[in-house]
Amino acid sequence: MTQYLFQQLVNGLALGSLYALVAIGFSMIYGIVRLINFAHGDLVMIGAFTSLAMVVGGVPWPLILLFVLVVGAMAGVTIGAVIFRPLLGAPQVTGFIATLAVSIVIQNSALMILTGQPRNFLFPAVMRERVTFGTVQASVTDLLIIGLTLVLIAGLFFVVYRTRLGVAMRATAENLTAARLMGVAVHRTILAAFAIGSALAATAGLLWGGKFGQIDPLLGFVPGLKAFVACVIGGVGSIGGAMLGGYILGLAEVLFVGLLPQEFSGYRDSFVFGLLIVILLLKPSGLFVRHVEERA
Amino acid sequence: MLEVEGLNVWRGATHVLKDVSFTVAAGELAALIGANGAGKSTTLLTLSGLLRARSGSARFGTLDLTHAKPERIVKAGLIHCPEGRQIFQSLTVAENLAMGAYVRGGRIAPETMAEIHTLFPILKEREGVAAGTLSGGEQMMLAMARALIASPKLLLLDEPSLGLAPKAVETIFDVIEALKKRGIPILLIEQNAAMALDIADRAYVMEQGRIALSGTGRELAGNDRVRQFYLGAT
Ligand SMILES: Nc1ncnc2c1ncn2[C@@H]1O[C@H](COP(=O)(O)OP(=O)(O)OP(=O)(O)O)[C@@H](O)[C@H]1O
Ligand SMILES: [Mg+2]
Repeated sequence: MTQYLFQQLVNGLALGSLYALVAIGFSMIYGIVRLINFAHGDLVMIGAFTSLAMVVGGVPWPLILLFVLVVGAMAGVTIGAVIFRPLLGAPQVTGFIATLAVSIVIQNSALMILTGQPRNFLFPAVMRERVTFGTVQASVTDLLIIGLTLVLIAGLFFVVYRTRLGVAMRATAENLTAARLMGVAVHRTILAAFAIGSALAATAGLLWGGKFGQIDPLLGFVPGLKAFVACVIGGVGSIGGAMLGGYILGLAEVLFVGLLPQEFSGYRDSFVFGLLIVILLLKPSGLFVRHVEERA
Repeated sequence: MLEVEGLNVWRGATHVLKDVSFTVAAGELAALIGANGAGKSTTLLTLSGLLRARSGSARFGTLDLTHAKPERIVKAGLIHCPEGRQIFQSLTVAENLAMGAYVRGGRIAPETMAEIHTLFPILKEREGVAAGTLSGGEQMMLAMARALIASPKLLLLDEPSLGLAPKAVETIFDVIEALKKRGIPILLIEQNAAMALDIADRAYVMEQGRIALSGTGRELAGNDRVRQFYLGAT
């Protein structure tokens, strides 16, 4: 039983890490442009296929990671520059629909180029092994996902809370006009948020492929949706909240499947959205938002 | 130093500024007074590059303010302390001050910081707290400090005393006078016309988007029309 529970815990943390990586970017982008980015999940797909292309090309893994970060950032900047910048200040519904359109364009272009056929995505053999700690075992892939996510999140927090760019990003998110009066080139700051958030999502795509072993052009839909749920659970616009929301969601999902009888496992997503409804009823602003920021 | 000539600004469908011309000379404190909705804040936002003029010119030294990007204008030393304070509530006091130094790399020289702490001792005590938890008066001091840290070559102040208790208003005016003594040119917008005209070298009255009157602070304080409409004399 302990082995089973431990395995579920590691599995849940790994899944939660992936949700957290996607949710953080989602939340950063919402925080700065006040738009729900429906195309955010598709960056996971882009990250996964970029990785696959490089695996096939024989690129070494550490370089693949670096490259996926760069490709994700560039894709994010493109979406930000083409879609969000011209829409800054437009009614929210317009932005909403525009991001939905971007998502559909990305998915369908991917379907045209790559076909709907799922492809195998394999991490190197060492990562597919299991390691033993005393009486319990865990998969190397899961441990790698958990560890790498922690490193990326630590890096992100450093940038957001300790650098000039990070302070400017938070200032811009709170009060665009005041940030401009301080001499912040806000368009560049906004694109930086897109770059960082999208790079994290693309990395999640690399790890997603490794964890589930198969990828297809529509794979971004589920992580995008779950990231949205994670953000709402944690409090939309808060980076820490999105991260915790991601972990809670991953753990809750895995424990639900793992601890209840087999026949319930098909209701996994109903459970996730049921949880969302309960949390929204109890704490509409999210679990980890202390106060609703007043906007001048 | 600042020369505004025939400025016309629209906001949406409204023609807000109509042929506005005025100047602020080096080392001078100029006051701009006028009723609510006259166009005072619109004037400052145009100077900062946040609103664009349809016609007319605004020059700050050699910089053309009607076309320069806001960040370029800040770099040139034209610093705007906006209406309603607009501090970053979720950032700490220290981070707000760092934003003042944003265009110079976010770093504040120790002697500048010491100077700020002498002017506003409360900000030293509150360094680490979220700025949104400060009182209204403290937030105004933070907004002024943030503007000063940007080392203004011309400081635009939009109703710094608005909504403050008399004691806080006095503090703010003391600081404005101290800055004036140091030779920092200031363009001051004030509802509190009496206090503003009292310290101003030069003053302008704006009515419905036009400069209706101008003169030295003393001249305008003695003007019948100003006394009747802005100083509440009977
Ligand atoms: N965002 C806006 N869109 C359209 N019109 C605006 C906008 N903001 C202000 N105005 C109009 O522009 C005119 C001038 O406004 P402005 O804020 O410059 O006045 P003000 O002199 O600063 O007044 P106050 O003393 O109340 O601050 C007003 O008639 C106002 O209704
Ligand atoms: Mg105003």
